[in-house]
Amino acid sequence: MAMSRATRYARYNQGEKLEISLFPFLSIFLCVMGVLSFINVLNSFSTPQKIELTAQLEQGYKVAYQIFSLPDGIISVPPTKHLLKLKTEVDESDALVIEDILDRRSQSMQRLESHQGSVMNLALQPDMDSILETMLDIRTLNEIALKANYLYEEFLLFGIYPNGGSAYQKIRDIMSFTPDATSISVGLEPLDSNWTLNLNPNLGPNKDGTVE
Amino acid sequence: MKNLISLDSLTDIVSNSVGILIIFAVINLIHDNNKTYQLEIPIEHRTELSPAFFMIKNDSILEMDTDVLFSNATVQATSGAAINERLFTLDYFDVLGKIDEGKGVSFFARDTATWPKFQELGKGNSKLTTALNKLDANKQFAFFFVYDSNDGEASGNGFEAFREAREYLKTRRIKTGWRPVNDEAPANICQDHFGKRCDFLPSYLGDIR
Repeated sequence: MAMSRATRYARYNQGEKLEISLFPFLSIFLCVMGVLSFINVLNSFSTPQKIELTAQLEQGYKVAYQIFSLPDGIISVPPTKHLLKLKTEVDESDALVIEDILDRRSQSMQRLESHQGSVMNLALQPDMDSILETMLDIRTLNEIALKANYLYEEFLLFGIYPNGGSAYQKIRDIMSFTPDATSISVGLEPLDSNWTLNLNPNLGPNKDGTVE
Repeated sequence: MKNLISLDSLTDIVSNSVGILIIFAVINLIHDNNKTYQLEIPIEHRTELSPAFFMIKNDSILEMDTDVLFSNATVQATSGAAINERLFTLDYFDVLGKIDEGKGVSFFARDTATWPKFQELGKGNSKLTTALNKLDANKQFAFFFVYDSNDGEASGNGFEAFREAREYLKTRRIKTGWRPVNDEAPANICQDHFGKRCDFLPSYLGDIR
């Protein structure tokens, strides 16, 4: 029902300043602020942190082959960054070997990078053949680099997630009997379940230890 | 009419603050999504130092007195309790043992209620601190068997306790090594002739070489 002009004027006395209470507005505002802060704090705890494994006391020429050990298996992140440069420093037959290894590694990285959703779902049970092949590749590359007097050495870094010990043990068992693994340096570190892996191998670290 | 306190300036300040907070939160979120943390991992190496064994489960750390454990295992083995790779009691903090031809003596932790908690680290009168303090950096390193099962928690069962113990030992310049264990792949101690699966290696840590 339409309000008459007289009724509207009757609500306020002319000459008296109109005062509006801001308490309801402030109440809602502070409530929103609280919720936002809460979401922000919650987010900082639950968002997976991207990590990259490097060796302590790492010298520039040492390159990590990262293996993440999860309850469902392992995710291997092979290094590809310096192999093209290494290829140019060695003779033709060794260059072909490096190219073959590089191809296989690039395919493996492509599979990881093209995966939609969480990369952690890509864990595979470690099978003996692929582990042996990995050890042989690392050994071959290290020997080729040594022969060419080129400063390059690959080593293994294991990141162990909660409940991921079995896959790691399986790899170490295989490593214990293959001579290819004898000369490979190994490091391992326990990881938290909300840490996820960085799949961009071409990024270098900043001075503060982070990679943008 | 009742006089109301003017809230205009307060509202102004609060709304400005909230606006800035929201901007910070958004920037922070975008920045965090692109950030990668580098985790520096110590590398294993061969050493002349001898290992002192510890077992970690459920935030508890147990010093493994190998003299007691092996003498109890020998008693059980001679009495026939250890035949056919059967589990037997070791009368040592609810730890069970198993003799395996390929792995030496395996150890299975059960109830950890009586084990020292890692929160006792650094407390002068605690058993755990005493056990770690008696390690000689020139002769020994600490080797931890760390249970990796997490029972739904964010961190692995023994992972946090291991990190704390490692940091504590680092301040005392004592090297550490570790291995994740569980009931499928239990802690085991054996002689060198069992091969590489009985290698217990420390890792470089910071400036300790």
